[in-house]
Amino acid sequence: MSAADTVTVEAGAPVRGWALPAIAVTLVAGMFGYLHTAHLDSIEARLLATDEILARTVEHVRLVAASTAAVIVIAVPLGVLLTRRRARLLAAPVLALANAGQAIPSIGVLVLLAILFDVGFAMAVIALVAYAALPVLRNTMIGLRQVDRSVIDAGRGMGMSPLQVLLKIELPLAVPVMIAGIRIALILNVGVATLATYTNAGGLGSLIESGIVFNRMPVLMTGSVLTVALALLVDWLAGLTEQVLRPRGL
Amino acid sequence: MTDPTPSTPPPDVMIRLEGLAKRYPGQSADAVSALSMDIRRGEFVVFVGPSGCGKTTTLRMINRLVEPSAGRIWIDGEDVTDVDPDRLRRRIGYVIQQIGLIPHMTVAQNVGLVPRLLGWDKARIRDRVDELLDLVGLDPAVFRDRYPKQLSGGQQQRVGVARALAGDPPVMLMDEPFGAIDPITRDRLQDEFLKLQERIRKTIVFVTHDIDEALKLGDRIAIFGEGSRLAQFATPLEILSAPADDYVRSFVGSGAAIRRLGLLRVADIPGGGTPPSDGAVRVTEDHTVYAALEKMLESGTDRMVVGGNGRGERSLTLRDLLLAAARAKGEPR
Repeated sequence: MSAADTVTVEAGAPVRGWALPAIAVTLVAGMFGYLHTAHLDSIEARLLATDEILARTVEHVRLVAASTAAVIVIAVPLGVLLTRRRARLLAAPVLALANAGQAIPSIGVLVLLAILFDVGFAMAVIALVAYAALPVLRNTMIGLRQVDRSVIDAGRGMGMSPLQVLLKIELPLAVPVMIAGIRIALILNVGVATLATYTNAGGLGSLIESGIVFNRMPVLMTGSVLTVALALLVDWLAGLTEQVLRPRGL
Repeated sequence: MTDPTPSTPPPDVMIRLEGLAKRYPGQSADAVSALSMDIRRGEFVVFVGPSGCGKTTTLRMINRLVEPSAGRIWIDGEDVTDVDPDRLRRRIGYVIQQIGLIPHMTVAQNVGLVPRLLGWDKARIRDRVDELLDLVGLDPAVFRDRYPKQLSGGQQQRVGVARALAGDPPVMLMDEPFGAIDPITRDRLQDEFLKLQERIRKTIVFVTHDIDEALKLGDRIAIFGEGSRLAQFATPLEILSAPADDYVRSFVGSGAAIRRLGLLRVADIPGGGTPPSDGAVRVTEDHTVYAALEKMLESGTDRMVVGGNGRGERSLTLRDLLLAAARAKGEPR
């Protein structure tokens, strides 16, 4: 690894440490260790059965994955569109809307959606998308705008079409900033998805809520620890992805 | 307008601009107004003028990065005012001051960009890239796989020139290509580029605000004044010996007569007697008059012997030089 590092000349980000996943694994291991030795009453035992915990975690990951995917599918093309010259006037109002999406508390959005429409997975995803769209949209626009105008000019001057300039010059050069935005969205989603339990979409928030409602500390703790561990892992994975996708030569 | 016959330029004209004008929306004055000009095949034309005189706008209208508001553009006998601009630009080399190398692409990928757009196969592109890097004095084995960040400014601009030549375009547009490079490297790049041009004989339109660069490089120089007025379009010698008006005179600046000596060659000076036997300096017909004069001043003599071109020797006096320099009225180089 170190030999390869000295050969490649460009600096790039240093290889990320293993601190984040190590903390996450330690937290989870410690928690399971405690659950194994502790005396659990019937409510605790039911809520903290391994199958239960696994099911809640899978629900949580699905919420985060679906909402982040939806955010990328919506906000990245929108960001590209808003940086095109003809759509420049639309940028301010759309950004204001995205700002509002993040300013409004997600719990409010969830409750409103539940009252107006329905409860369930889809409503939770909608609320998460509204909350996490802003960083992806904003970073896509910033990433595209900071591309050196002279590079674009040279590309156009050599006869690249606007689409070729976008795909071969602008987007690759915007990738680091765009991924930073997606990473923020991911982390936001891991946290905010704990509220999905209020729209009956499950997730680790269910454990936290049950822990509060039934006044069972082990349940509350398990939900919280797993959320923290998941956030650390997701951030670490996103950082790795960022390194892989960062164009060489920058 | 659709019938091209009335104004089709003669075959020796590579670029014809016909009443070319640009007015940006919301502006009361033209950025470029009614500009007409013929640029011959293989000619090196320099646009020079102060900032805001429309020289860059004119350049960018030739490859239609700026769309003209009025007028026609002809390149190589074809009216290109309305053709697909992307296809047009692949046939025109383009070099800019900021160079604009694509940072996440290697030198080879940058140089091979236009050939890729033109749909060449991989082997041909690779050969072409190596050939061009050699041409601009960069060892392909060393530089092919480097990224732009790993090059000096001078090396980057060499790659920029190689990239512009990649599709073998007949026309090159260069917008202050050496403007951001330190004076010593700039001087060397200019010399190299002149040598390169002797071999490749492209039709070049070159923008600069530096009159000395224009005088050094141009076969003809277009001096732009305020409001894109074309003050004079002539050879460097003509501009130094017969400036069209006070504006050109002031733009060229002081020392026109001295600078003219750098454009005249000894071969341009007629006459000369038989070689003397005393201590005259020796020069060749290819020396500039400026260099010959300097040699005479250094050795404190008023005579020189011209020879070494196989046409026998002749001797010239200081007086011959001075008379010739004073008489020189814009013969082409």
